[in-house]
Amino acid sequence: MADKILKKADLGKLIESVTGKGGRFVAPTTDSRQIVFKKVKSAEEIATDYILARNSFKEFLFPQTEVVAEFTLGKDTVDMRGVEVHAPQTVIFGARPCEAASLKGMHALFTWDFIDEFYTKREDNTVVVTVGCTKADDACFCTTVNLSPASTEGADVYLREAGESYTVEAITDKGKKFVEAHAAVFGSGSVKADPLVMPEKIANIDLAKVSERLKDKTHYDDKVWPKLTRKCIGCGACTFVCPTCRCFDIVDEGTAFEGERRKNWDSCQYDTFTLHASGHNPREHQHQRWRNRFMCKFNFFPEKFSGKGCVGCGRCVRVCPVRLDITEVMEEFSK
Amino acid sequence: MNNIYLPNLVTIEDIYEEAPDVRSFRLVFKDPKLRDTFEFKTGQFGLYSAFGLGESTFCIASSPTRKGYIQCTFRKSGRVTGGLAQLSIGDTMGFRGPYGNHFPVDEWKGKNIVFVAGGIGLPPVRSVIWNVLDRREDFGHITIVYGAKTVADLVYKEELKHWEARGDVTLVQTVDPGGQTADWKGKVGFVPTVLKEAAPKAENTVAVTCGPPIMIKFVLNALLELGFEEESVYTTLENRMKCGVGKCGRCNVGDIYVCKEGPVYTAAEIKRMYNDF
Repeated sequence: MADKILKKADLGKLIESVTGKGGRFVAPTTDSRQIVFKKVKSAEEIATDYILARNSFKEFLFPQTEVVAEFTLGKDTVDMRGVEVHAPQTVIFGARPCEAASLKGMHALFTWDFIDEFYTKREDNTVVVTVGCTKADDACFCTTVNLSPASTEGADVYLREAGESYTVEAITDKGKKFVEAHAAVFGSGSVKADPLVMPEKIANIDLAKVSERLKDKTHYDDKVWPKLTRKCIGCGACTFVCPTCRCFDIVDEGTAFEGERRKNWDSCQYDTFTLHASGHNPREHQHQRWRNRFMCKFNFFPEKFSGKGCVGCGRCVRVCPVRLDITEVMEEFSK
Repeated sequence: MNNIYLPNLVTIEDIYEEAPDVRSFRLVFKDPKLRDTFEFKTGQFGLYSAFGLGESTFCIASSPTRKGYIQCTFRKSGRVTGGLAQLSIGDTMGFRGPYGNHFPVDEWKGKNIVFVAGGIGLPPVRSVIWNVLDRREDFGHITIVYGAKTVADLVYKEELKHWEARGDVTLVQTVDPGGQTADWKGKVGFVPTVLKEAAPKAENTVAVTCGPPIMIKFVLNALLELGFEEESVYTTLENRMKCGVGKCGRCNVGDIYVCKEGPVYTAAEIKRMYNDF
């Protein structure tokens, strides 16, 4: 039950209340004619009519590029210094329930034995406010992966559209503290939430069957892989927009005298990703790289990290320049 | 903050030219405390930094029975190894590790051991060899089968001489057909074939192998033909890695993360893996 409401007219006050305490407020906004998650300063910047931002909000927890160390090289000296993570208090506002469900797996990966504090310190300082969907498009398939616009997994606060207001439901302790910290902005009252729009479940997909078939290792060299994925051009766009993809590279940048070590987004779809120095490449062909991504989503990532490998947001479907639709491969593996 | 990507600084104490474009570094930690406390197990790996160029992954080629330093051996082949190859004695580089699992050497006490390596696959095996030789009395018969493309490509030439001269090791050296020199006294032939000819007995014996992926594949078959149990054959998978700590996503063989669950596996474990080498 929603116990609080947030008037849309008060969004500006919420932004001020957050930024006034030194925090950053991230929301879907229009940039270069696209709806993207960005830091905003005023309510006017926030998009009102959108299905999903083009980018995932993962970049505010796991930036596309970040410095992890700096070094200075002298004639006979080397100085290597770790850097402190930049982790401002952050509110992600207007995320969709599907993408918030990616966070459990992300957390599990970045804390698996070795704790990546570049991720966890940002995570600690981030409040995720989702808004249940009142619109969907043909690419949305959250219901096919057992999520829905009503899912609250990964959300700290869950909102629903209710005319000129939102209903407000604090899900986690962090969410409760957030609502308390900005109590002046949240009102109470009884408003009727607008209906959620449920994307239709894709009838020919059986997620349990997909998972079961991927467990049977005989599929590995099946001709179905090159057949289904031959048109992939290996651009990696699907991996960059995906809220659960988190593979990265570590590179040095700078001069011969000083520079930085950076952690940069990378993609399992690139042929250099797994290329050995010897020239040997365990995933030499594009269909092998595609298979790896699909296996990661529906086989080993969920099993290893008990998180969702795919949240059905449909970003990869929308962004793919050759219309390689992951749900078609899911259908094939549901047979 | 605890930064898992921050390397420790190490000084290059010595450099050994092993083969064309292959060299070894003897490394000591700059931090004297770490120099005393650093521990690793045979088979573990590290990430080595050439500052300004990046990091490369190699096994630790020295044995944990030799304290106070670590050794790595690498072939100059890319940006980072090219940069490392330009460093001189006294220069500083970076090291993160040790990471990964290890060869369960302590469980092999009382057994015979057969080492089978090809080319630059000897460095990870070398750590096990010295670990075993440094407490020779704990183990039975020791056989080393080692081959490379050419005589020049054989690494650790001085150590090969030493192992050959020792009365308690059977060393079989080979080079690929065409790779021999006029005065070559070893075998001529591919490692799996030479291994079958040498035919070490499988009973109460553990095998350790490393080399190019294609060699490992045929060596595993050869060992099984010789009667070795899949559970008694060990190898180390050297996949490309960036983080070394289970995050960056490139070393996986299907559901297995080589950096965390490997790099050391038995042939039985390899058989259960996806065909993704």
